[in-house]
Amino acid sequence: MSRPLLAVLLVAVPATALLGPWLAPHDPTTPLGTPWLGPVPGHPLGTDALGRDVWSRVLAGGGELLAVSVTAAVCASAVGVVGGLAAGWAGGLADRALTAAADLMLALPSLLLALVAAVALPGRTAVVVATVCGGAPLTLRVVRDAVRSVRASGYVEAALCRGERSASVLVREVLPAVRGLVAADLGLRLVVALQIASALGVLGFGASPPAPDWALMLRENMAGAAMNPWAVAAPAAALGATTVVLALSVQLSSRRGGARPLRPAPARRKEPARG
Amino acid sequence: MVPSASAPTGAAPRTRGTGSALLLASARALLLLLAVSVAVFAATELLPGDAAQLRAVPGAEQAELDRLREELGLDDPAWLRYAAWAAALATGDLGTSLVNGRPVADALLQRLPATLTLVGGALLAAAPAMLALGWWAGAARRGGGAPTALLTGGAALPSAVVAGGLAALLSGVLELVPPVSLLPPDRPPTSSPELLVLPVLSLALPTALFGAGLLSGAVADTLRRPHVADSRRRGNPAWRVAAVDVLPFLLAPLTRVLAVSAGGLVAAATVVETLFGYPGLGSLLVSSLASRDLPVVQATAVLAAAIVLSGLLLADTVATVTEPGRRGP
Repeated sequence: MSRPLLAVLLVAVPATALLGPWLAPHDPTTPLGTPWLGPVPGHPLGTDALGRDVWSRVLAGGGELLAVSVTAAVCASAVGVVGGLAAGWAGGLADRALTAAADLMLALPSLLLALVAAVALPGRTAVVVATVCGGAPLTLRVVRDAVRSVRASGYVEAALCRGERSASVLVREVLPAVRGLVAADLGLRLVVALQIASALGVLGFGASPPAPDWALMLRENMAGAAMNPWAVAAPAAALGATTVVLALSVQLSSRRGGARPLRPAPARRKEPARG
Repeated sequence: MVPSASAPTGAAPRTRGTGSALLLASARALLLLLAVSVAVFAATELLPGDAAQLRAVPGAEQAELDRLREELGLDDPAWLRYAAWAAALATGDLGTSLVNGRPVADALLQRLPATLTLVGGALLAAAPAMLALGWWAGAARRGGGAPTALLTGGAALPSAVVAGGLAALLSGVLELVPPVSLLPPDRPPTSSPELLVLPVLSLALPTALFGAGLLSGAVADTLRRPHVADSRRRGNPAWRVAAVDVLPFLLAPLTRVLAVSAGGLVAAATVVETLFGYPGLGSLLVSSLASRDLPVVQATAVLAAAIVLSGLLLADTVATVTEPGRRGP
């Protein structure tokens, strides 16, 4: 996929999801016509089980999912960056303890963690908890490796020789050096957060009816897939396009930076790349 | 015994033997299983209300609740209850469902074959696709990024999206299979193969794309080996180079990726089984979560974690046996 097209999509998809409620031609929660109508004039994607306009629901259904996922990804990235800075800078026992803990947490699929968390927590909190548990360890390892190589560089040594304190060196010299890495890594955390959020939504622990929500639409409209395939295909396409555009942008930006692979996922330990 | 070529982050070069590596991997899996059981137990502890309130008739007196609590041992400290629960779990006593009063073990045994069929079928379908796609991406690595982009994008798709897309296509547009997979009770899942098509494909497709991404590295490495170039120069036909000089090097990574995928499949099965109404362990976990049937949730979650961890252990074992001293690709 060409770079300009990807850049346009990267802006257009979240913008559509955020502005969707105002772009929707009909009220996404009001029944308007016959249930399971195929595409007809006025309802370009037909209607769902209650006769609501699928096109309006798709337009309005991404905002909350994206908001939850962005929150979760930012939390995971923040925890991982702090841990990675600590492990990479301190080295020694702290480093070994942190990376060992991260390795342990990576062994379980995030979705399983999310389901365990969903026992006691509301769905949105469970998404955040699972994204942090499953994503922060990966961020930690990436940031830790980068910090270790930055630490050995001349300008950090120079700053230390000038007598600057560790905290200020970390904030003023090390953080800016790993900025690009952290940004790309945040993109990956967002992909995984979207996967977890949509999975929990499909399982019934996300948005509650009658709210328009891509994951909830998939859950509700599956039974009518034979009558109006668009009611299932449209939210699936919207959700799929969002994650794929994000993942490809991350890949492209990390390749342009000539960076090392951002998924340090060894084959034996799986980054739960799917919900 | 080779000192680790790619020393894992921060650890000292590993020079231990195969036996101790396996022992360490098993210890890690056990430790994780223990951690999962603690997490599951703690999560159920966080819930407002307890089993006594769930079991008592609505509007029960406080005295009645207290009596029930004492009877169920709910007044004991949390660690004691955890120990009792974990000990019972380890000896196979999984308790009884709060919803229908049946033994949890029966419910699990009833659902297990359906999920094993699903995961097994998905692995069978995914393995050749994984190999072919990984080969394609690995061979094309130098040329352009199109195959890698396809694998990255495909692996990023949430499983619900794949399931929804396939259902809309196969059952909506092409009308080949029914959109829901409600199995007839007391019949093996293989008795109605048309119901398995959608769930198996929904699980297999993302697994194949994800695994191919991991395999493509191994393919690219193998293709760069001198003996492959040598075999080509000697004029061996392409199929012979592929089958004799490349394929044997890919079997160990493929096994490893499949073993890891099996764990991911168990997690993804919760989504796919729920979407298609397929009666397996995943949908049992989800429905018991929704009805707060804690004994079933606890047993199913620990069982799922055990399956995931044994997949990882198998992958570790393959890695240790085929490449002693080296961890991970």
